Amino acid sequence: MLLSLENLSIGYAGTPPIVTGINLQVKPGEMIALIGRNGSGKSTLIRSVAGIIPTLSGNCCLEGTRVRSIEMRTRARMISFVASQVSQLPPITVRELVSLGRIPYTGWRGRLGKGDREMVERAIRAVRMEGLIDRTLDHLSDGERQRAMIARAFVQDTPLMVLDEPTAFLDLPNRYELVQLLTEFRQAGKAILYSTHDLETAMTSSDRLWVIHQGSMEEGVPEDLGIKGVYDRLFASTGISFDVEQRKFRPAGITRGTIHLTGENAVLLAWTRNALERLGYQRSETTDTILEVNDSGTEPAWILTRKDGSARFKNIETLARFLIQEN
Amino acid sequence: MAVILLLLLVVMVMLDIRFGSVRITFSDMLVHLTARDPLSDQQLIILQKFRLPRVATALLAGAALPVCGLQMQTLFRNPLAGPYVLGISSGASFGAALVVLGAGAAGLIATWSIALAAWAGAGLVMLLLLYVSFRIRNVMTILILGIMFSSGLAAVISIMQYFSQASALKSFIIWSMGSLGNVTGNQLRIMALAVLPLLLFSLLYIKVLNGLMLGEEYAVSMGISIRRTRVVILAVTSILAGTITAFCGPIGFIGIAVPHITRFLIRKSDHRILLPLTMVTGMVILVMSDLISQLPGSDRVLPINAVTSIIGIPVVVWLVVLNRKTTAL
Repeated sequence: MLLSLENLSIGYAGTPPIVTGINLQVKPGEMIALIGRNGSGKSTLIRSVAGIIPTLSGNCCLEGTRVRSIEMRTRARMISFVASQVSQLPPITVRELVSLGRIPYTGWRGRLGKGDREMVERAIRAVRMEGLIDRTLDHLSDGERQRAMIARAFVQDTPLMVLDEPTAFLDLPNRYELVQLLTEFRQAGKAILYSTHDLETAMTSSDRLWVIHQGSMEEGVPEDLGIKGVYDRLFASTGISFDVEQRKFRPAGITRGTIHLTGENAVLLAWTRNALERLGYQRSETTDTILEVNDSGTEPAWILTRKDGSARFKNIETLARFLIQEN
Repeated sequence: MAVILLLLLVVMVMLDIRFGSVRITFSDMLVHLTARDPLSDQQLIILQKFRLPRVATALLAGAALPVCGLQMQTLFRNPLAGPYVLGISSGASFGAALVVLGAGAAGLIATWSIALAAWAGAGLVMLLLLYVSFRIRNVMTILILGIMFSSGLAAVISIMQYFSQASALKSFIIWSMGSLGNVTGNQLRIMALAVLPLLLFSLLYIKVLNGLMLGEEYAVSMGISIRRTRVVILAVTSILAGTITAFCGPIGFIGIAVPHITRFLIRKSDHRILLPLTMVTGMVILVMSDLISQLPGSDRVLPINAVTSIIGIPVVVWLVVLNRKTTAL
């Protein structure tokens, strides 16, 4: 077993433990996403596993040896770490940054041999930053910077990579690209443990999920956790529920009424569904209120029909205004 | 850049030996070496007892203080850190003040006793810092405590100054302006013995300093022991800065500014190049400052502290205004 957590408690000395009784394992080549609310202990767990902070009790073992008792240089060849961002960046180039990943392998001068340099080049190609190799970090976007940090971790050449919310400060395309990179690393045989708030991406790209909820841990493949209702419990106290169809969390909010939506054009229907959701209408096929999205003319039209008559709207804005005023 | 700096260093050293209140030209020296027309005894004494030790002192201090500054800046990830930020110079000043202001009244102040007392003062602050760094995890807390030591000692010194005699006060103030010229043969040997090995030793930590650039968490994850690194760097900078201050008084400015100037010159933050070149740049600037402080052509001497600041500040202002990114660590 690559990483095994046995009856582990994590937290900070002098304060009550944040999560207790963790019994989990990571096999080589597995990709695991760690889910939990803010302050639930995701970062603490990631840092405990990486050996950056001590654990409170229990065992956190890497290939059978306790992480904190492995000699630091040896440990740095087994686990690499990436944080969500670097607060203060030195004005070094991408190449210099990625080269730092070879620190556990080089001598006191930090001189890179031929193999080290090839590894650095390969990592920079893997994160698709060949064109930016001589840029300094302050001239990179957040996404590029994070990719460079991940290349640095890759160069450390460890069987396990742990990442603390690597996508936290990234926009959607960068988030997907980054998770894509991680899946590529997994295919290359690395085990990956990363924390995230992006449940949707986590569910579609990781082998297993670890979910921290109220000081304890649940784990499994994403679907089993869903069937057990773990995602619903995660935000139960906040009025947010999990929509299985769309694999999204949505606020419970107010319900204004029910509407039966009909129409042909898929795009118009999708956007209309979004508007109804936003306005607090639930869809139902048994109700008398029918909203027809008419795509037959040159301009689309929304026709709202009730027992007492019907009204026609030329866009969603006027429809929405009508629905709000009516309530 | 390295070659230019080294050439500049050689030129500065030669000029600094050449100029002073007594005229000794290069050709006089050359002729002396060929033994055809030796220099007068007076000229020889000036060269051997005054100018060469002064240049050697400038070289040692010029290499050591900026290295301390660079290590502090990287350790605390703070571009404003310098060799004295944790109170080493205050400790040294406190020691010197005890001797100069306390015993000064009796009129028997040997340079030796000042140096020893200043050294002891700096050593005391170092022990305090090491104790703190063993007990406290957060590096920012160490920085704040260091600044507190420093301010506290400065307060004590100002009370001592307030109650001391005018003549003692003047000698203390002159000491605190810094001087490269008071270090004589034996003291120079001791200073070199303390400084040179530590400068070489600090080269062993360039990789670690590089790792620290990304912050402590990343450093740990790359196999760097933060506690050991911190203790070693604190000890090295304390001994270096404490020794220089003990013999030369607190020499301000170059410790903070030279690392920035060097970063700007080589446009790199890689300590493998930055650290050795910081030594060279520091030597060039301090020897040049010494040369200017001799006011070639006159027989007056300016305090070295004033010169380093007056020539250094415009350089730093220019660098910062011109290029904010490179100087911001």
